Amino acid sequence: MVGGLAVCSGLIDLIGTGSDSMTLLVSGSGMGLLGALLFRRVAGPVNVRPADIIAATTLAVTLGILLVSGLYLVTGAAQQPDDALFEATTGITTTAMSVLDPTGLGHGLRFIRAGSQWLGGFTALLVGIVILPFFGFGREFADRSRSGGYRPLAPDEVSATRNIARLYVPGTGLIWAAYMLAGKSPFDSLLLAMSTVSTGGFTNSPDEFADPSVQWVAIAGMLLAGSSMVTLWHVIVGGRGLQRQTGLAPYLGLHVAGVLLLVLWSTGVDIAAVRRLLFVVAASVSTTGFPMDVPGEWATAAPVLLLLLVSVGAMSGSPSGGLQVRQHRILMRLALREMARQLHPRAVLKVRLAGRVAGEDTLRQIVILQFLFVAVIFSTAFLVAVFGLDLADSLSAAVHATATAGPVRGIDGAMLDPADWPRTARLALLPAMVFGRLSIYPAVVAVAALLKLLRDRIRLRRRYMARKYGADL
Amino acid sequence: MRRPAARWETTTGQVTGIALLFVAGGIFGTAVIEALGGKQGTAMVLAALVTLIPGAVLWLWTRPGQIDRATVFSAVAGTWLIVSLFGALPYLFAGTFQRTGTGFPVVLADALFESVSGFSCTGSTVFGSHNLIGDQGPGILMYRQFTQWIGGMGIVVLVVTVLPALRASGLGLIGAEAPGEGGDRLAPRMAQTARRFWYLYAGLTALIAVALMAVGLSLFDAVAHAFTTASTGGFSTRDTSIGYWDSVAVEMVIMIGLILGAANFTLHSRSLASRKPVHHRDPEFRSYIWLLTGATLVVTILLVDDGMGLARALRSAAFNVVTLGTSGGFGNATGPGSDGDFVRWAAGPQLILLILLMSGGCTGSTSGGVKVMRLIVGLSHTRRTLRGVRHPRAVLPVRYGTGVMAEPLVERIAGFMVVYGMLVGSGTLVVAALGTDLVTALGGVIGSLGNMGPALNRAGPTASFVDGFSTPARMVLAFLMLVGRLELFPMLLMLVAPYRTLQKQIRSH
Repeated sequence: MVGGLAVCSGLIDLIGTGSDSMTLLVSGSGMGLLGALLFRRVAGPVNVRPADIIAATTLAVTLGILLVSGLYLVTGAAQQPDDALFEATTGITTTAMSVLDPTGLGHGLRFIRAGSQWLGGFTALLVGIVILPFFGFGREFADRSRSGGYRPLAPDEVSATRNIARLYVPGTGLIWAAYMLAGKSPFDSLLLAMSTVSTGGFTNSPDEFADPSVQWVAIAGMLLAGSSMVTLWHVIVGGRGLQRQTGLAPYLGLHVAGVLLLVLWSTGVDIAAVRRLLFVVAASVSTTGFPMDVPGEWATAAPVLLLLLVSVGAMSGSPSGGLQVRQHRILMRLALREMARQLHPRAVLKVRLAGRVAGEDTLRQIVILQFLFVAVIFSTAFLVAVFGLDLADSLSAAVHATATAGPVRGIDGAMLDPADWPRTARLALLPAMVFGRLSIYPAVVAVAALLKLLRDRIRLRRRYMARKYGADL
Repeated sequence: MRRPAARWETTTGQVTGIALLFVAGGIFGTAVIEALGGKQGTAMVLAALVTLIPGAVLWLWTRPGQIDRATVFSAVAGTWLIVSLFGALPYLFAGTFQRTGTGFPVVLADALFESVSGFSCTGSTVFGSHNLIGDQGPGILMYRQFTQWIGGMGIVVLVVTVLPALRASGLGLIGAEAPGEGGDRLAPRMAQTARRFWYLYAGLTALIAVALMAVGLSLFDAVAHAFTTASTGGFSTRDTSIGYWDSVAVEMVIMIGLILGAANFTLHSRSLASRKPVHHRDPEFRSYIWLLTGATLVVTILLVDDGMGLARALRSAAFNVVTLGTSGGFGNATGPGSDGDFVRWAAGPQLILLILLMSGGCTGSTSGGVKVMRLIVGLSHTRRTLRGVRHPRAVLPVRYGTGVMAEPLVERIAGFMVVYGMLVGSGTLVVAALGTDLVTALGGVIGSLGNMGPALNRAGPTASFVDGFSTPARMVLAFLMLVGRLELFPMLLMLVAPYRTLQKQIRSH
């Protein structure tokens, strides 16, 4: 897929100067050939275990990052390997903490940036809708039931992938058209649409969203991208009304509450200011992270609110990051159940959501997910702090990286430029981005499997050496 | 005063009444000290009387009734709230927080904050450069220390020692107040158990006081600091806290005292009974010592890397790690910007301190925070869940030490973590909305929930909470201190029992 992206980028580069087109075409073809060779020659295992799928997903994302960073290096867009790695990771993970100046890049490379986010967004959807339910994470909330002649989004793994593509690709096209109608050029619209639908957040110029109509399109696009694919499928294909989508109200409620609080904390708010505040809130909740300055001075609580919104994220089953709304709703119900249990220790209390009972395994996994989410944030913040950022920026950067939420806002609300940070601090953010993009679990399981593999290898080696040299050791 | 024949059946009233009598006794005792060396003796005697009268009325006119879970929570939380309210009277009557240009609501809020911070053993203070601790009389200072001491082992535990009528319900009351997952029995009767806890506590306090005197503190300072060390409270009689003495020996005594205070008191009891230490066999205590040691080493390395000398770095790191890791909250900074002033450190070590603010000490101790045992179980639970992905059909238990944790307890701990996380998130937003920056708000909320004392940024070890937080924000923090001291649920569920009673009365009418 990365090879295909590179070939497309090479062709698109011909629209502009074409200086990178040959490099991109050759690299892309090479990657494509290698991929095709591997696909043809390597047979999958007969019995696929969940852990294998998870490890393979993590490996694929890591490989994608390495390949895209290779493209940045061979085209000379990034001079240093760590810059290339950072840019590729923020692209694939849809984080969008860019260290490259997009105004100095050709058409092909700009397409690669947006395209890597688009692929990353699609991967996130696959992880959330197909892969995680496959190994039991929120299986009861997967849209599989065919009862009443209804066509579900994810009846099986292959159909789910196809159905997701059926929504994702036209969704991109719709937003592309909307941006063009708002006055953007076709190419810029395409790049913005890819970044919007994937909740990526890469932009190509500082004044990308100066026009109010572009802002409205971006707001609508971010709201759409943050919505669950299952909800969209229910409405578009299933013909079910919006009022029956129980997850939508809390998601939209987050936006309303966020805007209301920001309006409350701001002075001299007019309609234009409300639009900009809605933009900022939508960019935070959907974890797209499109940059926008808010009117007037920042209240001290505003960055805290945005940081919380970023960590909450959008709906489950969307390409957004963060812990996501459904997980938070379940955690809230779990907290209420715990309080009820304090009063009635022997009562059998179930957690219900959207008319379904959440299994104890799912509840356990969500609690652990929260635990891991916080652990990843604090360990990342610690590393970033050790490498030179101050405490507030470290915490903010760690939350944004783990929630894959794009440019980091400082404590005063201003956008921080990662290019100003020490290289080591930037590198320390990369694992958090990958963990966040893969909804934490798959990455943790893959790392644990890798560590176990290493440990087993070391043990085997020790045994072998002990047998070979016996008493000498 | 004779008891009336027909007494109102309310456990909350009975427990609160006796608790107020204890507090009145404490105020009166410290009023004597104030009368000997200060100017506010009369005001404190008046405060003692005002506390004594409702306490006596409640004690005489009520009797313990039927105790269900909801009543236990409302009894414990209600007692703590009322004790904290009456505990603010000495500060109010003595005019401790009266400043020119400050209205009565702010003075009342400051007195309440100091009282709650004292009883909950948090150690956050509204004293500061605008209102020096050194300017206060000895009685007021000793009263602050006393509030932490009485709150350390628990007011309700103290009440249970003299209220045998509670019988088995005493365990519920102690369990609702005790740090950790329920109360441990040291004796067949709950009153005996409570008494043993208090004997151990008093013994530890005496031991620390003697050790502090041996390293050069006056009798007054030694007793005062022993009170707040055994209780892992953190109040001091000096503006620069332990930094006033700038002595390694004093810091060592305080550190050892804090570690003993933050260890499970059941372990102390068993050690005394078997006449040999059993602490090393306890997985929680072992992990706790490893945690403190590891954090000290990492902070030392980071401080040395930041340009501090090795000896100073080790001393500052060890003291601050122990004092925050045990929820003590003392400071060894000799002044703003000195080596021990951790808000001047680089961000890395501060972040470790922030994590320690959350972790807290051991269960069954006087410390606050999430508790090491819950963290161990949380980690074991995580490992089990991740292993379950690789082995979906395996039955994997959650291990704790050499044993296996019961699933209901694991679920309870998981539920606790969820509620704790939500309180931190919502609390930070509320405190920030009341005019505090991110780091100060986060540090303040975590510190208050964990009963730690100082926070980060503008509420560091040499700063006053008046500088870091607005008056409404301080009230939110005071509420969180009580929530944290009672392990979240009693305060959150305290209104359930009165609501049910009200509902019943409405139905019967």
